[in-house]
Amino acid sequence: MVFNSLEFFIFLFIVFVLYWFLFKRHVKIQNILLLVASYVFYAWWDWRFLSLIILSTTVDYFVGILIDSNSKQSKRKLWLWVSVVFNVGLLGFFKYYNFFVDSWIDMFSMFGYNIKSTWTLKVILPVGISFYTFQTMSYSFDIYYKKLKPTKDYLSFAAFVSFFPQLVAGPIERASNLLSQITNKRVFSYDQSVSGLKLILWGLFKKVVIADALAPIVDDIFANYTSYPASTLILGVTLFSFQVYGDFSGYSDIAIGTAKLFGIELTSNFKFPYFSRNVAEFWRRWHISLSTWFRYYVYIPLGGSYQSKWISLRNITIVFLISGFWHGANWTFIVWGLIHALMFIPSFLSGRNKMYAYTNIGDSTPFKTLNELFNVLLTFCIVTFAWIFFRSDSILEAFVFIKRILFNFCYESYNHPMGYRMIDYYILIVLFILYEYRIKKDERSPFKFRSKFVRFIIYTLMILLLMLFYDDDIDRSFIYFQF
Amino acid sequence: MKKIFFKTALYVILILILLEVIVRVLHLAKDNPIRFVDKHKVEKWLPNQEGYSVTGNRRQNFTKFHINNSGYNSYREFIPTKEKKEIALVGDSFIEGFHQNYYNSIGKKIEDRLEGVEVYEYAYAGYDLSDQLHLIYAYKDQFDLIDYVVIGLKFEDDLTRSEYHVVQDRMHLESPLYKKARSIKLLVYAQNIGILESLWKLAGRLSYIGKKQTNTPKEVISKEAIEKTHLTYIENFKSLVNNYGFDKERFVFLLDTSITPSIFLDYLVSNNYKYLDTYEVLNKSKSPTTLIYDRHWNNHGRRLIAELIANHVFISEE
Repeated sequence: MVFNSLEFFIFLFIVFVLYWFLFKRHVKIQNILLLVASYVFYAWWDWRFLSLIILSTTVDYFVGILIDSNSKQSKRKLWLWVSVVFNVGLLGFFKYYNFFVDSWIDMFSMFGYNIKSTWTLKVILPVGISFYTFQTMSYSFDIYYKKLKPTKDYLSFAAFVSFFPQLVAGPIERASNLLSQITNKRVFSYDQSVSGLKLILWGLFKKVVIADALAPIVDDIFANYTSYPASTLILGVTLFSFQVYGDFSGYSDIAIGTAKLFGIELTSNFKFPYFSRNVAEFWRRWHISLSTWFRYYVYIPLGGSYQSKWISLRNITIVFLISGFWHGANWTFIVWGLIHALMFIPSFLSGRNKMYAYTNIGDSTPFKTLNELFNVLLTFCIVTFAWIFFRSDSILEAFVFIKRILFNFCYESYNHPMGYRMIDYYILIVLFILYEYRIKKDERSPFKFRSKFVRFIIYTLMILLLMLFYDDDIDRSFIYFQF
Repeated sequence: MKKIFFKTALYVILILILLEVIVRVLHLAKDNPIRFVDKHKVEKWLPNQEGYSVTGNRRQNFTKFHINNSGYNSYREFIPTKEKKEIALVGDSFIEGFHQNYYNSIGKKIEDRLEGVEVYEYAYAGYDLSDQLHLIYAYKDQFDLIDYVVIGLKFEDDLTRSEYHVVQDRMHLESPLYKKARSIKLLVYAQNIGILESLWKLAGRLSYIGKKQTNTPKEVISKEAIEKTHLTYIENFKSLVNNYGFDKERFVFLLDTSITPSIFLDYLVSNNYKYLDTYEVLNKSKSPTTLIYDRHWNNHGRRLIAELIANHVFISEE
């Protein structure tokens, strides 16, 4: 069941009514309802993989208790490793097994040994596995670091792991935020629900109008990049920047909005990342829950930035490489991570990695803002360049793509593969940027206008745009489902 | 909690009303002319209607139609006489041409090429050969005065019936419920762009819940079965021609030989039925001959078809 489907909205309505009308007095029954709803939501794709979620839930539930019950550090560590090995093992088998086998074979073939692979398996990647395994691991880590007490309520824990709004593509929640909300009684709040509905509308807009509308253009350009001129390739990767942002942040907004309807607050995952003034700021604004996860559970345990410069640089590089690899079993993602590491390191070395932590573009004087706009443009270009690796099927393709842009520059106007007017899309992107700039201070209030009338007009325009750019024939699944 | 339901419902209603206004002002939804069955049991459009046909979410194709006194989309009235030279084009949506401005039709393009000739487009979306021959038969007096009759024919679609009867499925679209629904332009727009399709798909999926899924293997149609169907279609053709008559001197088929089985083409040739091949002219063209948003002929395609028919008339006159 995808968020941008009719099934989901009918499902959501039913669960909402049951949750607040029938079971509002009993938090336990509410949690059972959330758990059942989450399993139904997941089983809509493939019920067989529910067993993996249940297995991961059970292992980490008991591991959490065992870590906490042991006072000996070595035993605590041992149980933590059980959780890590189990979850990373699941990921490794379903997501990376074939990649490792193929990479070994490729490596041998580089040395002249041609091995015929019989080891690769036809494994389907279970939707959301990268997200829920990280979420359950965070629970074990937090207990290990004594930041959290394990829960004795298995059903609540299972509801935390499988909470349907964020089950398949995040935000990856830490137990300290989500589990505590699930175990405590929720009270219906009109304002919270309205805010949730607004976020759902905004998320749908970003997904359907921005991401889905651009998808056919991006797919066409990347599929036929050898026959298009450099100008079209630049257009393709620029539009992909907006597509992937619209797709993933749209999903996150719908997830956060849906959770609000059940009285639960999820962490923000995107804070207008394309208004970042350097790569460091970009990573404070892009896929925040993943960056936070890596910061707490990889970067800081490795020593963070409190040791020598070299160790800090090593740690930064490791985090970016793993982060890239987390996205997919392909060298392209690793290179994507490496590019970000290389672009992050100068900010780190010059001490500018935290300079934009608490401000937004446009907060200062107009002259400074102009300077900032230049930095925003530069950061966008760097990030967009890195997207070439993220979107290409292989490293070789990415290099050919870049080579054609750099050494074979020519301009030709581009025609939409389905014959639509391209000007519609250019206007759409410009309006989208301007609108995001207008609302840039609060990612959770996309319709923050004082006048009710203005808000009403904007809702209507959003829905009108949803219809104007709706395409029944395209694949409506989210890009991040494949991760 | 009731407040949220009440306010959401209120907002939804107000937004829908505003969207209805916007769809009407921007003319995003197509107008549907009213259809009826006349005293000769011929299904056609109610005479003297005008409106706009719209294709695409963002009104990518926007054209005006005009239903004349005879109930067909044309800029002229159909008044054949012995003195004038007339051509009748009898066919389906390709000739009817709601996807083009009515004054830029194939008929008009033929008239531009053949001075003094009037072209009557007796075309209606969904017409098959039984509709077409029944129409000619029902309006025999008129058609007897017309010098050339070009009949559009798609073998696979147009020969499924051996005799004419009114297609009730199409006429159900004129039921009070459908008429009411059509008056809501937002609904028409949602239907056109495929939003309502998801509703029907969901209903279909829900109806399967709880039922045992049977994986029936995809039926492979044998060569023999295809040949049998072709023979049935040819029998239907013979039956229709026998029942409603066919003037081999004046009547000519307009068909695409690339999608017409050779057995039927051979039958036509051996029985002295004339046909014009659209494939030859359309396939030769270097620029696209169909619209981007649907498979109907675009302006260039219509020009080529008009040339083909005009050349046929020109040669016949000589």
